[in-house]
Amino acid sequence: MSYAIETSGLTKKFGSNYALSDVDLAIPTGSIFGLIGSNGAGKTTIMRILLDVMRQTAGTVKALGVNPRDGGPELRRRIGFLPGELILDGRCTGRYLLNHYASISGPMAPGRIDELAERLDVELDRPIRKLSKGNKQKLGLVQAFMHRPELLVLDEPTSGLDPIVQIAFQQLTLEAQDNGQTILLSSHVLSEVEDIADDVAVLRRGEVATVSTVAALRAQALRRVSATVSGAGIDEVERMLSSVSGLSEQELRSEGEAVALTARLGGSPDAFVKALAAVKVLDVSIEAPNLEDAVLGLYDEMPTRSSYKKGD
Amino acid sequence: MATASYSRRLPLLRLSLRESWIATIVWGMATSAAMTLYLGLYQSLGGSSSGFKELIASLPTELVATLGITDISTGSGYAQSYFFGLLGFVLYSIIGVSWGTAALGADEERGTLELTLAHGVSRTQLLSERAVSLAVRLLFLGVVIVVMLLILNQSSQLELEVGNMVAVTCALLGLSFLAASTAILFGACTGRRSLSLIGGSGVVVLGYVFHAVGAQSDSLSFLNVISPYTWAYENAPLTNGFDLGGLALVYSLGLVFLVVGGIVFNRRDIGS
Repeated sequence: MSYAIETSGLTKKFGSNYALSDVDLAIPTGSIFGLIGSNGAGKTTIMRILLDVMRQTAGTVKALGVNPRDGGPELRRRIGFLPGELILDGRCTGRYLLNHYASISGPMAPGRIDELAERLDVELDRPIRKLSKGNKQKLGLVQAFMHRPELLVLDEPTSGLDPIVQIAFQQLTLEAQDNGQTILLSSHVLSEVEDIADDVAVLRRGEVATVSTVAALRAQALRRVSATVSGAGIDEVERMLSSVSGLSEQELRSEGEAVALTARLGGSPDAFVKALAAVKVLDVSIEAPNLEDAVLGLYDEMPTRSSYKKGD
Repeated sequence: MATASYSRRLPLLRLSLRESWIATIVWGMATSAAMTLYLGLYQSLGGSSSGFKELIASLPTELVATLGITDISTGSGYAQSYFFGLLGFVLYSIIGVSWGTAALGADEERGTLELTLAHGVSRTQLLSERAVSLAVRLLFLGVVIVVMLLILNQSSQLELEVGNMVAVTCALLGLSFLAASTAILFGACTGRRSLSLIGGSGVVVLGYVFHAVGAQSDSLSFLNVISPYTWAYENAPLTNGFDLGGLALVYSLGLVFLVVGGIVFNRRDIGS
């Protein structure tokens, strides 16, 4: 298997702070890969090193098989980049600026700017400084996609976009994948990438907490469950549930004759449902697994069923 | 068409010139206005017939030396004292520092440099094309200055020689270029707008102060040796023509600053 991005022991220090420490990633060519992490987790630093805007303190990195430091302008022409804090200004129009960026990146098919602008609904002929944040973000996406680069590096691509444009962006990304391009994109929330990414790496404080498929993350995520039962006392219900594995943060309280229960459940809901069946169930709800919670847990430490707490 | 744009030459120079041509023309107009105002008054303020010479003679010699007012009874002395040595110097120092700051430090601090450098350009190419853009704009202003001198030479009877007009313009532009390359050097090393401004202005102010203080007495004249202002103007180019040694010092120091800036710029992180 060939890899569009490979890092090994990638480390970046700012003063005495580790922005990245010992990051190993191997991102297969043609995949859509998500980097998830809170602010300061190191997502942007990885991307900047790939573009040779920053240099690592230690470790090796290869983009499209080349060390960015050695690849120079030739390598960067094969990459499309959207910075996380996109700042565009100037009195020229969006069209002029895009043509300028085209002149300093890889060759582009004629009419490509208009095609992308139409799909993302960008106004090309207004001065850039008069554009809203969302419109600037769209210009940023156009300049990243326009030369069909082999590798797309997109830092928080959907921030500031309305839902319709987010869908257009997802289509563009999937088309790029069909076209054999590799896409690395970052977000601080999983929900922005879970629909399109094949694999995700969760970063916390400069380290890779986990690399996983979205499906696997979903499987280890916890569900919120709640139920109201009658015909048994609190002690009885508690004893009943003690046999259910994967239950945590269990809270029971009596509501008149009934007992109300809330908890979190990992894994299959089968045992939980069967345990409840022993008494009269007045109400029950089992939510879909919460991926965001799962990832939030990874931000800090790998969650274990017993110690897991939301937001920690 | 778009594929052709890929092979377009000097893309960063083109964008830089496009973004700055209005400002350049405004500076050209300001230059013309200042020259008309100051040099147009030669017959009434300077010249052998005015009483201004007596007024200057009555001032303390230290003050006169500090201001660089030498011989205002001739057209060349007057133009040097009032425009090239004073107002023009201030104007072109401001131009140099502000353009040099805009070239790198301000661009990086604003956050727009990162995206440019993420494209298919090297840092050396970026710094070079922006320095060339700056030089092209200064050259344009140099043409404006020479043309204005030619016009005012007639109307105000300054009796300047054409070769000397070019010589003094080269000296003034050299000081402006040095201020700009110092600002670029500081921007290249720090990525900060404010430090870029301070660096560029620092060279201007120190150069002027060393010149002024060095002119006060022989014991302080060593300061003239390290003053770019002295290098540019000591041999009175408007009277005596090109001072190649002085010009070489000013321009080579500017180039050295650009090269050193380029070396540091290539080695550091951008936007951190």
